[in-house]
Amino acid sequence: MQVTSSVRPPLVTNGKTKKDVTDDICKQVEGKPSTAWKIAFTMALIMLTYGGYCLWTTWYEGIGMWGLNKTIGWSWDITNFVWWVGIGHAGTLISAILLLFRQKWRTSINRAAEAMTIFAVLCAATFIIAHMGRPWVGHWVLPLPNAYGSLWQNFNSALMWDVFAISTYFTVSLVFWYVGLIPDFATIRERATGIRRKIYGALSMNWDGSAKTWSRYEAVSLVLAGVSTPLVLSVHTIVSMDFATSIIPGWHATIFPPYFVAGAIFSGFAMVLTLMLVIRVVFGLEDYITINHIESMNKVIVCTGSIVGIAYITEFFIAWYSGVPYEKYTFINRALGPYWWAYATMMTCNVISPQLFWFKKVRTSILWTFVLSIVVNIGMWFERFVIICTSLHRDFLPSSWAYFSPTLYDVGDYLFTFGFFFTCFLLFAKYFPVINMAEVKAIVDSSSEKKK
Amino acid sequence: MKDNNKVFWKGVEELGNSPEFVKNAQNEFPEFIPLQKNNSSEDSNGTDRRDFLKLLGFSVAAVSLAACDAPIKKAIPYLNKPEEIEPGIANYYASTYVDGGEYCSVLVKTREGRPIKIEGNKLSSVTKGGTSARAQASVLSLYDTARIQGPLAKGKTITWEALDGQVSGELAKVAAAGSGIRIVSQTILSPTTKKAIADFKAKYPTTEHVQYDSNSAYGILKANYSSFGKAVLPSYDFSKANVIVSFSADFLGTWISPIEFMSQYAATRKLSKSKKTMSAHYQFETNLSLTGSNADYRQPIKPSQEGLFVAELYNRIASNKLATSAIKSEILDKAASDLLANKGKSLVVSGSKDVNVQILINEINKALGNYDNTLSIESPSFQKQGNDEQMNTFVEEVIAGKVKAVIFYGANPVFDHPRGAELSKVLPQLDLSVSFADRVDETAAFVQFVAPDHHYLEAWSDAEPKAGFYSLGQPTIKPIFATRAAQESLLTWAGNSKDYYSYLKSNWTTSILGGSSWDQALQDGVFEPAAKGMAVHSDSTAVVAEPHISLKSSSFDATSVEAAINKTYTSNSSGVELKLYEKIGVGSGSQANNPWLQELPDPISKATWDNYAAVSMKFAKEKSLSQGDAVTVKSGKYEVVLPVLIQPGQAYNTVSIAIGYGRSKSGRCGDNVGKNAYPFSTFVDGSLLDFATGVSITATGDKLPLAQTQTHQTLMARPIIQDTILSEYIKDPSSGRYFPHVSTPDGKVAPSQVDIWKDQHHQPNHLWSMSIDLNSCLGCGACVIACQAENNVPVVGKREVMNSREMHWIRIDRYYSSEAEPKEIGEYFNGDVFKMEEPEENPQVTFQPMMCQHCNHAPCETVCPVAATTHSSEGLNQMTYNRCIGTRYCANNCPYKVRRFNWFKYFDNAEMFDKNVSMNTSLGRMVLNPDVTVRSRGVMEKCSFCVQKIQEGKLKAKKEKRHIMDGEVTTACAAACAAGAILFGDLRDKTGKVFMERNEENLERTYTVLEELNVQPNVTYLTKIRNINKA
Amino acid sequence: MEKGKNLVFGVYDEEAVLLHAVDKIRGKGVKIHEVYTPYPVHGLDDALGYHYSNLPIAGFLFGVTGTITALTMMIYTLGFDWPMDIGGKPHIPLPAFIPITFELTVLFCALGMTGTFFVASNLNPWTQPKLLDPRSVDDKFVLALDLATNKQTSAQLSSILSETGASEVKIKSDN
Repeated sequence: MQVTSSVRPPLVTNGKTKKDVTDDICKQVEGKPSTAWKIAFTMALIMLTYGGYCLWTTWYEGIGMWGLNKTIGWSWDITNFVWWVGIGHAGTLISAILLLFRQKWRTSINRAAEAMTIFAVLCAATFIIAHMGRPWVGHWVLPLPNAYGSLWQNFNSALMWDVFAISTYFTVSLVFWYVGLIPDFATIRERATGIRRKIYGALSMNWDGSAKTWSRYEAVSLVLAGVSTPLVLSVHTIVSMDFATSIIPGWHATIFPPYFVAGAIFSGFAMVLTLMLVIRVVFGLEDYITINHIESMNKVIVCTGSIVGIAYITEFFIAWYSGVPYEKYTFINRALGPYWWAYATMMTCNVISPQLFWFKKVRTSILWTFVLSIVVNIGMWFERFVIICTSLHRDFLPSSWAYFSPTLYDVGDYLFTFGFFFTCFLLFAKYFPVINMAEVKAIVDSSSEKKK
Repeated sequence: MKDNNKVFWKGVEELGNSPEFVKNAQNEFPEFIPLQKNNSSEDSNGTDRRDFLKLLGFSVAAVSLAACDAPIKKAIPYLNKPEEIEPGIANYYASTYVDGGEYCSVLVKTREGRPIKIEGNKLSSVTKGGTSARAQASVLSLYDTARIQGPLAKGKTITWEALDGQVSGELAKVAAAGSGIRIVSQTILSPTTKKAIADFKAKYPTTEHVQYDSNSAYGILKANYSSFGKAVLPSYDFSKANVIVSFSADFLGTWISPIEFMSQYAATRKLSKSKKTMSAHYQFETNLSLTGSNADYRQPIKPSQEGLFVAELYNRIASNKLATSAIKSEILDKAASDLLANKGKSLVVSGSKDVNVQILINEINKALGNYDNTLSIESPSFQKQGNDEQMNTFVEEVIAGKVKAVIFYGANPVFDHPRGAELSKVLPQLDLSVSFADRVDETAAFVQFVAPDHHYLEAWSDAEPKAGFYSLGQPTIKPIFATRAAQESLLTWAGNSKDYYSYLKSNWTTSILGGSSWDQALQDGVFEPAAKGMAVHSDSTAVVAEPHISLKSSSFDATSVEAAINKTYTSNSSGVELKLYEKIGVGSGSQANNPWLQELPDPISKATWDNYAAVSMKFAKEKSLSQGDAVTVKSGKYEVVLPVLIQPGQAYNTVSIAIGYGRSKSGRCGDNVGKNAYPFSTFVDGSLLDFATGVSITATGDKLPLAQTQTHQTLMARPIIQDTILSEYIKDPSSGRYFPHVSTPDGKVAPSQVDIWKDQHHQPNHLWSMSIDLNSCLGCGACVIACQAENNVPVVGKREVMNSREMHWIRIDRYYSSEAEPKEIGEYFNGDVFKMEEPEENPQVTFQPMMCQHCNHAPCETVCPVAATTHSSEGLNQMTYNRCIGTRYCANNCPYKVRRFNWFKYFDNAEMFDKNVSMNTSLGRMVLNPDVTVRSRGVMEKCSFCVQKIQEGKLKAKKEKRHIMDGEVTTACAAACAAGAILFGDLRDKTGKVFMERNEENLERTYTVLEELNVQPNVTYLTKIRNINKA
Repeated sequence: MEKGKNLVFGVYDEEAVLLHAVDKIRGKGVKIHEVYTPYPVHGLDDALGYHYSNLPIAGFLFGVTGTITALTMMIYTLGFDWPMDIGGKPHIPLPAFIPITFELTVLFCALGMTGTFFVASNLNPWTQPKLLDPRSVDDKFVLALDLATNKQTSAQLSSILSETGASEVKIKSDN
């Protein structure tokens, strides 16, 4: 029997019983899609179509449709890639690390967070393919036996590491997520009839909830959580190595791995918040995603936000301290050069705005949280843009310095991923249990406040 | 088929004889079937395979014919030529590139009978194996789709016979009527052509030959006529000059014989262990020219001051003084004292069109005793024979109706003469007007008959650039179109049925060769009795006929010159002045339709696809003009709207505009590029002046964006260019070098000492390396075009250049000095970073050729996920196009930013890249080098050190069971360089030039760019040394 | 034992009650067939005397396989199959292999272990379980006793169940 100190605020409010949990969550899945959902879904589809058109044109005509040039070989493409990967971090982090720490408050948010992870990673993957000059030979990055005989990959390349990191991360997250879903599918199965019963039946993989299976289930989740935790950290570490292992001033920095991971968690949590705040209203899950959840996440955000802030300052110090002319210039140029506005946006959104969460009023206010969570993600996008684009546009030889400005297709391809993300997420929210029922039930007795 | 009914089938299909088979039996390579995009215009394709194969087949046929068909049968290839064309083996033919007065002795590389590349001819003692961007690009003009395919009469095609009939008929009439016939041409270097014209005159006595130059040197001709009684150019020898003073003569770029002068000049600038002296070069000019950018001391002056500067110098040098308003200029003082200290070993030149200025220049050189040392009137040069007065009279005569028949030969006055517009109005009134133009150009559009001349690569030709220096040109391909040599046309109309080849040969054997072997001359391409001190047949030397000179030969008349100078020039003019100049690329505009030249970045401004109004920084600030602002430049009655280009080094209160732009009938690439500036020049005292005073510049308010390949001007206090001054260098050869270090636990060490790996890779057999001398690189850009031709580098057009996506594998970085340069390298926190971005008003200029550095520890190789770029065992950084997936990570990680990405499909894509004619027109494709892949969309490309040439050389050596000799293998850029700034060779060859340069001659000057990164490039540079006193 | 009957099961409402019941019943020496719960009840497997699962060991072995696969692949391809000079680095730059080795270790471990779990617990999309009581995946806990393995009669077992606080007691028959 679990014991929790009474000082801890309840994680589930309004004295929900186990039965209520089942009903509340399942009714989303069983009921007809709400108008709000339909509107959102249509908008997502529109974005998807327009973005799809832009992406197609990019593939048909060539990367030249973007604003890149001889000096700036990466800009929005890789910015978006890193941004999405970063967002993808919260999910596994919440379920894995918080599970290891037995943080019960994770239970009502981890399901959606993991879903977000998976879709975000898919979006990131879009840009891995899209940014290639010849996407149709993209499979050459995989060590497959090939018609050319002994033609293999270059495992020195950080991009190769990326390929493995991202695909592993995606697979493992997917498995982790699905294993978690099985018991809930079983629950839905038992309430469903006809074709839906068949589908959910198949999805629930012959689950009968016997104690034996449960104990194995627990063992698996524990180990998965155990391996996922270093995995999450490794993924953004490796992404950061795309830059850290290069020689371009502003990229070549040993501080990157921790700094990127912190940034990832930062933006990931922000994105989770944005989505959760919507879901809890749309699906009326206020009792499961309570102000406490939001507050705890805000605490994580202010912490990681500050880490990121310190990283920015450290970079500057090192630039000055290193005595490397190119490094020095890069950072002066970042702050004051042609792209000063990007740097300013980044600083305001990432370093200053999250500090507001020191005030309890702000971090317990739904509105503030919602706004700031979006601000943070804007800031994190600009962080990647600043790192990638402003470092490249003025590197070693002044003769080849150039300026990048995006085209419609840069924007369109970015929109595509948004369309894709929200389409997937809305489908998930409608047809899958958005909250992990089993886990919530497990804590209802211990941490639900009793009916007055 | 009674007795023998054996039938062989290609296969069952044929036995079955199905319709499909019958259809496909025709096309051998079904996979060639192209995607039908558009087959609108004949050449804008990517589509009509048929035309391509037709032309391909045709050219091959042409060659096989050529091999057994007079006259080409007698063509002797330059290098050991196989008896007949061997596929895959290149043949080299000696020939001569001539465009007006422009001369270059060349070798033409042909593959399967198609000329694909121009190389310099080392046997010529004039051009010494050097080439110019224009000579290099001329091969593409051969395959220009704008060329007309046969003779035209009033715009309709006509047979040669018919044309000859009508033309000779008219000529006879006009001659009979006693009214004038004129042959109008640019400078003609060909003695045999002159002879042909003489024959023509003999037949039609009223004929007169009018020569003019779009950028004339008539002032010099007149001055020499006045001083020496000879209306010729002297031959200059800069290599003998310790002190060079030039008044707006761009002798390294566009003045008289730049290729010749570049090699001479570079010789005086080279330094090494064994040679520690270099020339001092003073330049006084209005616009920052290529020559000015190489000068040690340079002073921007207004055109209206030029005469006074020259007079001032004269006063310092000569015994008697002129009463001209004095000029205060430290640089001039220094120049004068330097000159006086180097009598007989100095040279003063001027680009002025003003005869009086040129007379003074002659007097100065006389006073310095330079004649027969650094310049000689005895062995004159004929590279400019244009006579402004005669041309002007011609226009008058046509207007007055005195002239009834005109033949334009290699001349396009309607475009490139200030009175072209007037001329175009009266041309239709003539009884007979013929043009030999290869296209319906601005002038040909107004004539009755167009009798298209061959391209020089299709024709027999000869030239005499300097007295006693002859040069032969032979066809390297059978005429692609139904064209005919202009000389042959003239002869035919003169009733001489002889074909031009035999005419030329007989002329040579009788009046030039003087007994020497014709075959030898043809094989060498040059015949230079003067160089060998043999007798020169004076009857062939071209001298401008006297009567046209409105100036009597006399001794120096100081008073009249003084008066003239005081009249024309003033030391303190306040108004804005206009200066016309020629560009390295487009030049006079005759090759304007050549996209290679249009996209060649101007060495100074780095602008492509445009001409512009260059103004000084101060002026721009005052008038609050910014880069790319559209302005109306008005002088006299003529005005144009051009973008502003803020040009450091431009004289204050002046604007410079390049001639040769703004053509309307040159073809798809040249039309409507820039504006025509010729009409700005005015005819004053018998000379066409290239400047104008009282000019107005007014901003129109809109923008005309410029396409520049380099938009950042200064070095930003980085040790990329390492330079010093002569005195320091003599004290310490390694002065100016920057030695980076890395701090380690065991103290400061060289970057090469810090490495986590033990180097496991060695290049035992060859290590291909390059050494570039920043002192001899004059920045002309010939290498850029040579590379483009050799390596099938696409032309991307103005829009893409604006997007910084030009594809050139080699670029020439140009840096201006800045006042804000801090003493300490990279002192950004103390120094004013933003000031550093601003060049000085009159900056020092440095050029740095930049191509793939072939790093032995290449950052690009490490990051490629699919190992598409790897290192060869000979030190080459290789790019495997087929493996590339286009992540662009390599380009990002290249510290030199020399990698180029195929953003689009540049070939077979006429819709988007119609300017890229060498890949998008059936005819243009003929110029592609079959040894080099045309890169597909989405792959990375870059300089390969001409790996195809290396392979060729290795195979040759292997076949002959020997080692590669030094200099046997070289890159296109190195081969093209007239100044010999680029050395290429095998570093493993301990006697090789590169090895000696690096380890013997210039060990201390040798540095690698960005040494601190320890990427260990195979390209090294020699420090730039200026011959100036400590500032 | 009685004919046609094989399972007696009780439905419990509270996690706590269930855990006590399990102890009591096992105390009485009655063998518990299986317990079905809607969520993992902590301490239940101890109460039932299940030993801790061996799956982690499987996971570890899979992980090791991953490590070996990764290293062999990279060392073979770059070091032996086609050695190249890439940026002047050695043919086998071990530090550069760390990331991929790690990733593959994790991948193999995760997939292998989950796979084993599915097989071991017979989890598959094509078979469907017949639950004793559908509420056992909702909010109720079901404790089942097998008549075959227990000597007591169904009646006795039922009474035992109800004694231990089962809200309902049912008997499952074959037909």
